[in-house]
Amino acid sequence: MRIATRQRRLLQNTGRFLLNIPLMLVILVPLLYTISISVMPPDEIYGNHLIPTSVKFTNYIQAFTNPYYNFPRMILNSFIVSTTVMLGQMVTCSLAAFAFSFLQFKGKKILFIAVLATMMVPGEVTIIANYLTMAQWGWLDSYRALIFPFLTSAMGIFLLRQYYLTFAKELYEAAKLDGCSNLRFLTSIVVPLSRPALGALGAYVFLNTWNQYMWPLLVTNSREFRTVQIGISMLYDIDAVSLGLMMAGVVIVIVPSLSIFVFMNKQLINGLMAGAVKG
Amino acid sequence: MKKTLCLILVGLLIAGSLFAGGASEATKAAPAKPAGPVEITFWHAMGGVNGEALASMVDEFNKQNEGKIKVKYEFQGNYDDEFAKIQASGGNYPCDIIQVYDIGTRYMIDSGWILPVQEYIEKDKYDISQIEPNIAAYYTVDNTLYSMPFNSSTPLLYYNKTAFEEAGITKVPTCFEDIYEIAEKLKIVNPDGTVKRYGYGMGNYGWFFEQWIGKMGLHYVNNNNGRGKDYATAVEFDTNGGGLQIIKVWDKILKEGISPYLNMGNDDAKAAFISGNVCMIPESTAALKSLLLNVGDKFEIGVAYFPSINRNDVGGVSVGGGSLWMMDTGKQEREDATWEFLKFMVSPEMQAFWNAKTGYFPVTVAAAQTATFKENIAKYPQFQVAIDQLHSSAPQYAGALLSVFSEARQIVQNYIARLANNELDPQATLNGMAKDINKAIETYNLVNY
Repeated sequence: MRIATRQRRLLQNTGRFLLNIPLMLVILVPLLYTISISVMPPDEIYGNHLIPTSVKFTNYIQAFTNPYYNFPRMILNSFIVSTTVMLGQMVTCSLAAFAFSFLQFKGKKILFIAVLATMMVPGEVTIIANYLTMAQWGWLDSYRALIFPFLTSAMGIFLLRQYYLTFAKELYEAAKLDGCSNLRFLTSIVVPLSRPALGALGAYVFLNTWNQYMWPLLVTNSREFRTVQIGISMLYDIDAVSLGLMMAGVVIVIVPSLSIFVFMNKQLINGLMAGAVKG
Repeated sequence: MKKTLCLILVGLLIAGSLFAGGASEATKAAPAKPAGPVEITFWHAMGGVNGEALASMVDEFNKQNEGKIKVKYEFQGNYDDEFAKIQASGGNYPCDIIQVYDIGTRYMIDSGWILPVQEYIEKDKYDISQIEPNIAAYYTVDNTLYSMPFNSSTPLLYYNKTAFEEAGITKVPTCFEDIYEIAEKLKIVNPDGTVKRYGYGMGNYGWFFEQWIGKMGLHYVNNNNGRGKDYATAVEFDTNGGGLQIIKVWDKILKEGISPYLNMGNDDAKAAFISGNVCMIPESTAALKSLLLNVGDKFEIGVAYFPSINRNDVGGVSVGGGSLWMMDTGKQEREDATWEFLKFMVSPEMQAFWNAKTGYFPVTVAAAQTATFKENIAKYPQFQVAIDQLHSSAPQYAGALLSVFSEARQIVQNYIARLANNELDPQATLNGMAKDINKAIETYNLVNY
């Protein structure tokens, strides 16, 4: 009996792998080809080569060590900005979501709808207004300008609220009866229980911030505050295309965002699913 | 637990104030102290090797003017991004010099943010004949040179010389009649009917459309091609017959399989040319170096004049690329410093260096006498064709000025795509283009004048 189950499982797994490996290869081809181009000698790039005949890392060395591009600094900047925005959103969104799910107050519904309504406004509409505000405050060319406008998001509030709604009301009432304050209830009961949702939010926010282009370009000028996506565009010129160098830049930049996916993959999928079922 | 949360919040606040400290340090550099060097900011849009070359020119200037002037260069994305940014910042003058692409010229003139370089040319008695006249003509309106030409290019026809020799073709095409004939000889069709190699190929690139109008000696827009005292109010290519001729050629090329449809922009055409799948492409002079580098020794590259639509067209090519604009900051010492910097950037030595590093034209006539230039032209003899073509053009073919040019170019490409898709015939394509561009011009004029 037991052996039969084991055999069946083995068969199932093999089947899954057989199905998934080709699928994975298809999905990964653009990425693998990117890596392949980044190590190719330049005359092979347009020569119908999928795999380089010889591997050269000169593009990586140039992108990383050339002080004109200054990639290490840009990676550091992106890291600081993305991490701070991620932590900030986790704090603000869980506080707001707590109010919207557990507390009773006047105008709660209207307020919540107002928050959701901001999701309907495309970023392009507000970007100039936000830029002018930053300019007026003298915040241009600083980490503040890169971080502050993104410290909360309707999407995060919504995601966490939906998750908190799955909690039994009795849990909150019991805690209240025992004299637990709202803040304590949030930090010691709700947050630990909603780790998957928080993790999903964190990964999502981190990636979004990491991939920002237009906003960092607008509010920063000096190379001390530039982020990685601008770094990639620095490698491109319409009249002097150097695909190898560009692809090397792309690979350098996607490694951190990819590793976030690898580390938080489980939370990401669990979290997003959890929100979806209830919502 | 309450404590932890408080700690996080406090931590965030501290982090915020820390960044604040870093920022004020960076922003306070802008106003110059009378004692130290005058600091000016230069916004540019050059990426890759072009950006590196630009940076080394600025470094050289800073070295020569140590203690007097310090130029800070800041990359602001590609031309479109940079242009969007200066539009967004309006009259806040975040920079002293900005590099703007050709098609942003009319907008900059109208903006009221800039100081025409002509003012300094007169004040400083700068000899303007040093600047290549056919290049300066583009940036001159009403006898006023508005910006300093800097990175200029024209379109050329690149061809696969090796393939030409193999097919026994000795004639270099000058117009589309030639191209049809030669492309037919170069085309290789597989036994199954698919095409292995095309003779000619070009991307759906609006720049070519503009160039062909100029090549016919016609105007793109009214009011003296937008260069008169009055700004342009409508396109002219629909009524002067130029537009229809171009679209008909484009239609023929695509329908008769002379060229495949190579998408918007010219990047795919370049890739097809490099890989040897297409034997002739029109492309910017500035692409010469990257084409040579990417082709390697696979085949030899020849260059010819940008082909004309009809054999006996009388016009010429106009320059594309960018120029340097002086912002009207109202600070005398910074504007003086900017002028010094502009003079340096177009000095013969710097322009020869710029030309050798990037493939843009040297905008200064005297650059041709420098050793750097001579060395470069010996290495890339193809570049002489580009210079000859520029000299054989004339200031009256300098091309149109239009405030909504980037939009107009996009509209042209959208309609050519629909033509390629068999949605529209040439006449309908022309009418649609003209209608959409006129609407954009009308809206812009209504809001801005």
